[in-house]
Amino acid sequence: MSIVAANPQLSPSPQSETELRMEGLWRVVVLNDPVNLMSYVVMVFKKVFGFDEQTARRRMLEVHEQGRSVVWSGLREKAEAYVFTLQQWHLTAVLEPDEAH
Amino acid sequence: MKRIEVKLALPVVAPLLDVIKELADSLSRNLAAPLALKDLDDEFQAAWRDELLSTQNEEVRTLLSLFDDEFFSDGVVAFDETNAEIIVRACAAVRLRLREKYLKPLGDEALESGDLDLMTLDEPLRRAFMCYLFLATIQELIIQHLDDSILGT
Repeated sequence: MSIVAANPQLSPSPQSETELRMEGLWRVVVLNDPVNLMSYVVMVFKKVFGFDEQTARRRMLEVHEQGRSVVWSGLREKAEAYVFTLQQWHLTAVLEPDEAH
Repeated sequence: MKRIEVKLALPVVAPLLDVIKELADSLSRNLAAPLALKDLDDEFQAAWRDELLSTQNEEVRTLLSLFDDEFFSDGVVAFDETNAEIIVRACAAVRLRLREKYLKPLGDEALESGDLDLMTLDEPLRRAFMCYLFLATIQELIIQHLDDSILGT
């Protein structure tokens, strides 16, 4: 899904600014909204990330009480796919660089 | 296949369907939860948006299709593993749009708790808030009884 997905048929070229920006690890952050039910958010986390009940509930409470929760970290392409899926479930999610790595 | 049937009070629910139908029109053009990724390529962002809108439209159509002629004769709606996920998502989309269009003046705290005296609200706001609660009830029923169906797909 990434816009920088490499085409293996093409010969290497100097990396663009966009490509450089997309490297490294990214966090998927779910933001709070006052509408979606707690039980709904728990179910979505279990469904999308395969969390167990306890983990899903903990992440949901982070979103609810702190306004955000980092639910996944990894390569940009997969992070984008998770944001897209969360958006399909009508949750608001953003990507941010994982500065810890 | 697990299935739940819910008998609804037609005089209560019928006016709420008008609210949902009105919002369906707006949801056909706008995402319930706006895209929050700002650093995507324009073309890529448009493709995402189109795909999300298409899914959202299908969800809302499925929700509205529950309330067909049969519903108006017996007042019963049914949920099972074939429609549970799509309906629970449609309810989320419509609830988000209800907040945008009608419910913001009530404040987020009231929307989160659902704790409001309906009798203090003007008619359009009262109907919108009842619709908001009605859709939340459908979501809770589905999550409570058909959670396994959704997680298993």
